[in-house]
Amino acid sequence: MGFYLIQTLNAVAFSVLLMLCGLGLSLVLSLMNFVNLTHGASYLFGSYVAVVWLGSGAPWWLAVPAAFLAAALAGLLLDRFPFARFYGRNHLAQVLLTYGLSVMFADLMRLGFGAEIRSPALPDLLRGVVFVLGMPFPIYRLVLILAGGVLALVLWYLFDRTIWGAVVRASVADRRMVETLGLDTSRVFAVVMAIAAGLGGLSGALGVGMLSAYPGLDEEILLHALFVVVLGGLGTFRGTVAGAFILGFAMTFARVWLPEFAGFLTLLAIALLLVLRPDGLVAPRLRQV
Amino acid sequence: MRAHAWLLCLPLAGLLALFGGDYHLRFAAEILITGTAVMSLDILVGQGRLVSLGHAALFGGAAYVSALLAIHAGAGLMPVLLAGIATGMLLALVMGLVATRSVDLFFLILTLVVGQMVYELAFHWRTVTGGADGLRGIPALALHLGGASWPMSGARSLFLLAAGLALLAYLLARSFLAAPIGRALVASREQPVRLAALGYEVRRLRLLAMVFAGGIAGAAGALYPFVNLYVGPNLVHWSMSATMIVMLVLGGVGTLHGAFVGTGLYLLVQTYLSSFTDRWQLLIGLLFVLIVIFLPDGIVRPGWRRRQA
Repeated sequence: MGFYLIQTLNAVAFSVLLMLCGLGLSLVLSLMNFVNLTHGASYLFGSYVAVVWLGSGAPWWLAVPAAFLAAALAGLLLDRFPFARFYGRNHLAQVLLTYGLSVMFADLMRLGFGAEIRSPALPDLLRGVVFVLGMPFPIYRLVLILAGGVLALVLWYLFDRTIWGAVVRASVADRRMVETLGLDTSRVFAVVMAIAAGLGGLSGALGVGMLSAYPGLDEEILLHALFVVVLGGLGTFRGTVAGAFILGFAMTFARVWLPEFAGFLTLLAIALLLVLRPDGLVAPRLRQV
Repeated sequence: MRAHAWLLCLPLAGLLALFGGDYHLRFAAEILITGTAVMSLDILVGQGRLVSLGHAALFGGAAYVSALLAIHAGAGLMPVLLAGIATGMLLALVMGLVATRSVDLFFLILTLVVGQMVYELAFHWRTVTGGADGLRGIPALALHLGGASWPMSGARSLFLLAAGLALLAYLLARSFLAAPIGRALVASREQPVRLAALGYEVRRLRLLAMVFAGGIAGAAGALYPFVNLYVGPNLVHWSMSATMIVMLVLGGVGTLHGAFVGTGLYLLVQTYLSSFTDRWQLLIGLLFVLIVIFLPDGIVRPGWRRRQA
């Protein structure tokens, strides 16, 4: 009983991480129709920034904002060149461009941060365990669940309830109409790209205490985030959250029961779900003309 | 491909077969075999605008089956080729059944999902596939006909075999595209809704195209282990699929023969780069980016103008 409760908590922590990462990707994908395969690199970059930050003795609670800012700045630069000229192109060109960039970033990060597994020097406050039904559970993961939940709420409020969020959603629905209202949509998209990349870095900084940081993690995270977004359905906040929890629970329990073929089973579950719901769990109604 | 292109290619292949050294012949065979698989991807990407990120799984899956047959059963050319084609078509059928319900981004992701399932099997089913180590010790290829058998292990015979396969696959693909089903596939790229209104089942059409392309990729995959002498999980990984798309774009999408040009150039650059620097991945990534920024239409221009949709 205690064992399954701990595994459930693990699954929730992993799901929250997937959710944060998926939300960043989903923003760019559903709002700008841009396939950004560098999102995994943003995550790993955020992880490395957090590791270096915590190792340098700077105040630990600033590690996550620092990772967010660093990744957001990288996203802003990428938006100026070369992403902006690819927003209107087809997915094939976008996949090639961002895949090539992610390969480059992966190699650059291996050059800069080394090829070994890097774990952060967590502050004592986050290092202990709490006992749940007599089983130990890391405090860090509880904090992760809480922080992720709060962040998700903030994002939802930002995009669903503020005028700024309405501008972003309107730019997606009808870009030209928004421009006739005197708003610069390319600036809107630049900000969205920066926030999305920042979210990638932020989830990397939060996740590094759980998954550590190593070359190749960027690609794993990228695939998971892609699956989360597609599973949930494009353009919906609820969908991404649902997708993250399904994938998080499927992966955690597949690992518990059949560790050897966990990856295969998870992919099988994704394929089956997508066959049943081809447009994702929460699909916006679309008419094809 | 025009007449002057044939006049260039055939003597070139002949000269290479007569005077080429072992290393160059093997390298040329690898280009032709990989190029055949990339060309089959061109049927999907170029004619049907079905961008698949799982094509390497068809190619590599067939390579695994072929290598396993050769290692454990000592299979000759014909059984290996047939098994490879069957594997490619079967995997493509599964991939198609899952993915053809969707288009565009969802098609991309679903082919990626199915392809990664093949990768997971190749990586974790250690007793059969050798896991991360892959399969080594692939026996020499031989052709058994009736009671006689010819060894085909030399670089020259492998090159000729690969050239024959590439030529056959190219002609087959061209006749597929010239046939009504191929024209319908192009129509499904341009106007899927109108085509459906005309009574075509677009989904079935796409499924058939995928199975056909899978068969060609499977045939190429069947020969791959004998040229490369090693089959590893990286061959079925999605990054290989992405690399195949880059080769295709480099050569020119929608031309068929451009696939061979792109594959040749890519493999040349990769071999050259990896021989003189450790940071070749960085340069390969840079190459991807440069290609898509400066050469979006590839080296070989297609007959029709590509629309920027």
